[in-house]
Amino acid sequence: MDHTIVVERTIAIVFGIVVLVTALVALKNDWKTPGLENHIFKLMLALLALGGLLGTLAGIGIIGKA
Amino acid sequence: MAVAAVHAGGIADHIHPEPEGFIRKYVFSIDHKIIGIQYLVTTFMFLVLGGMLAELIRVQLMNANGGFMTPDTYNEVYSIHGSTMVWLVIIPMLTGAFGNFVFPLQIGARDVAFPWLNMLSFWLFPPAGLMLYGSFLMGAPAAGWTEYPPMSLQGQAGTSMWCAAIFLVGVSSTLTGINFLVTLLKMRAPGMTYTRMPLFCWAQFVTAPLLMIATTALGAALAALFVERQFGVPFFDPTKGGSPLLWQHMFWFYSHPAVYIMILPVFGIVSEVFPTFARKPIFGYKMIAFSSCSIAILGFMVWAHHMFTSGMAPFLQLPFMVLTMLIAIPTGIKIFSWVATLWGGKIHFSTAMLFAVGFIATFTLGGITGVFLAAVPFDLHAHGTYFIVAHLHYVLVGGSLMGVFSGLYFWFPKMTGRLMSEKLGKWTFWLFFIGFNGTFLPMHNMGLLGMPRRVAEYDPQFQTLNRIASSFSFLMTFAILLIIINALYSIKNGKKCGHNPWNARTLEWQIPSPPHYYNFKHIPSVFANPYDFNEPLPYRGLEDELTDAPPPVPAAAH
Amino acid sequence: MAVASSLLSTPVTHGHDDADQLYIETRELRVQGFLLFMVSDLVLFSSFIFAYLYLRNTGQGWPPPGAPHVDIWLAAMNSVVLFGSGATMHFALENWKHRNFMKFASWMVATIVLGLLFLGGQGVEYVSLYTKDHASWGGSGIFGASFFTLTGMHGFHVFVGVIYLTVLLLQATAGTYTFSKYTGLTLGTLYWHFVDVIWVVLFSIFYLL
Repeated sequence: MDHTIVVERTIAIVFGIVVLVTALVALKNDWKTPGLENHIFKLMLALLALGGLLGTLAGIGIIGKA
Repeated sequence: MAVAAVHAGGIADHIHPEPEGFIRKYVFSIDHKIIGIQYLVTTFMFLVLGGMLAELIRVQLMNANGGFMTPDTYNEVYSIHGSTMVWLVIIPMLTGAFGNFVFPLQIGARDVAFPWLNMLSFWLFPPAGLMLYGSFLMGAPAAGWTEYPPMSLQGQAGTSMWCAAIFLVGVSSTLTGINFLVTLLKMRAPGMTYTRMPLFCWAQFVTAPLLMIATTALGAALAALFVERQFGVPFFDPTKGGSPLLWQHMFWFYSHPAVYIMILPVFGIVSEVFPTFARKPIFGYKMIAFSSCSIAILGFMVWAHHMFTSGMAPFLQLPFMVLTMLIAIPTGIKIFSWVATLWGGKIHFSTAMLFAVGFIATFTLGGITGVFLAAVPFDLHAHGTYFIVAHLHYVLVGGSLMGVFSGLYFWFPKMTGRLMSEKLGKWTFWLFFIGFNGTFLPMHNMGLLGMPRRVAEYDPQFQTLNRIASSFSFLMTFAILLIIINALYSIKNGKKCGHNPWNARTLEWQIPSPPHYYNFKHIPSVFANPYDFNEPLPYRGLEDELTDAPPPVPAAAH
Repeated sequence: MAVASSLLSTPVTHGHDDADQLYIETRELRVQGFLLFMVSDLVLFSSFIFAYLYLRNTGQGWPPPGAPHVDIWLAAMNSVVLFGSGATMHFALENWKHRNFMKFASWMVATIVLGLLFLGGQGVEYVSLYTKDHASWGGSGIFGASFFTLTGMHGFHVFVGVIYLTVLLLQATAGTYTFSKYTGLTLGTLYWHFVDVIWVVLFSIFYLL
């Protein structure tokens, strides 16, 4: 049981950081693209970054019901 | 200023080959005009069914001690009557029938953005209607068209059918909303900026987001009710932690915008009828267009005015009261604009014009009683009484249905190439107008005197008023039947009238009646709004439309 | 074409042929239509989210008595798996735009696998809630009503998405898309990101609040 939790939390933190960084880099690279469709993509990348951040913080235990 | 992105060589000139065979042409058609007529026929059939249920109600109510229906049956009758009229008649008629047929022609397009989706939208609709009426076979829903829990939780199996049927028709509506919105955003003819669109297009333009957004919220509520009834998932049952008030919030968040879905296209219809038959530009084009936008937006913010007596948090009453009263402002702007359009005009009282002018009278009355009801102290007294029934029928029948009839007489010549009988039309208008007012005007009194709604038997003090209402209702029903007979008869025997019997100026009147399957031989370009009666028509490229010249070679099938 | 020359007054743009023009215009329609569909899907989720927040705040306190406690660690891991699939999908589309089919396909497979892993994780969570806490859709009060409805709806959207992406991958392999005309792939990416973003909201309101 404890071993499972360690694995879960590690994956949450590691993947979370990966997703956060990837999303932010992608956002920066695509910042100047024009058009409604690209704006929607940028919004969703930003929210994806937020998701990665929340996943990381939850894995650490700062937020969420432990 | 956004000019539509349609140029020569693209969608504009891309004419598909004509569909062949009866099934492709008239049954599973992707042509917006055929789909529009399919909606028109189907909604009129449901109008007859819903109207028969209404007459059952009026006959029952002729006697204070009840008539021929048990109270349980009576409950089922008015529940299906309301559900039919809202979801199977007015909404599909205004959006699916008139919307589909007219506005793509008015914007100079060959069809809507997603013709196959349009066909799917239509074909979801009759099965949904059949499901709704099928519920009579298993115990129809009996808690009104609003199906509040806990009563709807306890209803018979037909209530679950109702959930499924309305969900299905909601999917149809949502897809139509998406379709119309993309069409209006992207497929207007070259030169047709937003402020050169006919006002009927503006009306569909602001109604489409309502269809898309509000209907989905209803779908969620219906799904929740369905799974609660079938699988015991507790959203609304207070004994299991749910809240009946939650249903009311979810339901009315949709159903209030729904009433704007039921009236905004009518505002568009009369905005076309008035300038045409007064031979004058519409007064306040931009005010009418932008007030439609504000009505659509404000319409999302007022739902709890249906819940003043529900036990919701009292602090919510004042804001909803104020917001509701605010909607009277853009609505009033429109009414004054229409009246100003008529002022000093050379008025021709065709039947379409009679219904439009009658609409102003009855809709205004209904709107005024709406402002009364917005005031919380008044609503606390009038809620759940016949005053509400009077208000809602004045705006939905005196408003929406009269607008529908105006549109029918106006656009029937475009759909068929023949006029409906104007002589019969005038008789039916007056029969309808007198019948309608005689039916619903007494209901204001009944309500204020304290007669509750949705009751099969009532205190004898109300009997005289009820009998008056019932008697006049037969006139109204007879008038509606005459309209249908007029339409059916005129399809083959009406006076032939050419492409523009009303001398109107919007694009649909510049092509043959009925239009060819490809609408326009060449997509015209537009350089002004169509309401300037002193000027020549603001279009270029229409020279070939009324001639026998063949259309450009249809693109090879791909 | 005879058509173009007979349009005396409409401005005619040359420079690409009719088929390209048709593609560009229908692409605009399809993208707009898809975005509007996503808006209506958002309204669907918002309605149920409203219902959850309403039920949570009326009366009995949260979690309601007898409701199971959710496993934050499993959920956090599962969430980043899904978010990761969003990142891999982004890479897939980028590689298509850079005309690299093999990398596109690899990232697509990664996305589909991560999506399936997410669904598996959800399944594990549901089974664990059922076996340990006897939690069920209809039998767990308003917790069951809101949690299983919302996560279930979302899971269904992920399931449909996995099928959708698989079909897109097969189509791309079969040559349906070119490196300059790939609207279907763009729309699939939009859908997948949408499903991801909904999960950001659901994860927050069920596990973090």
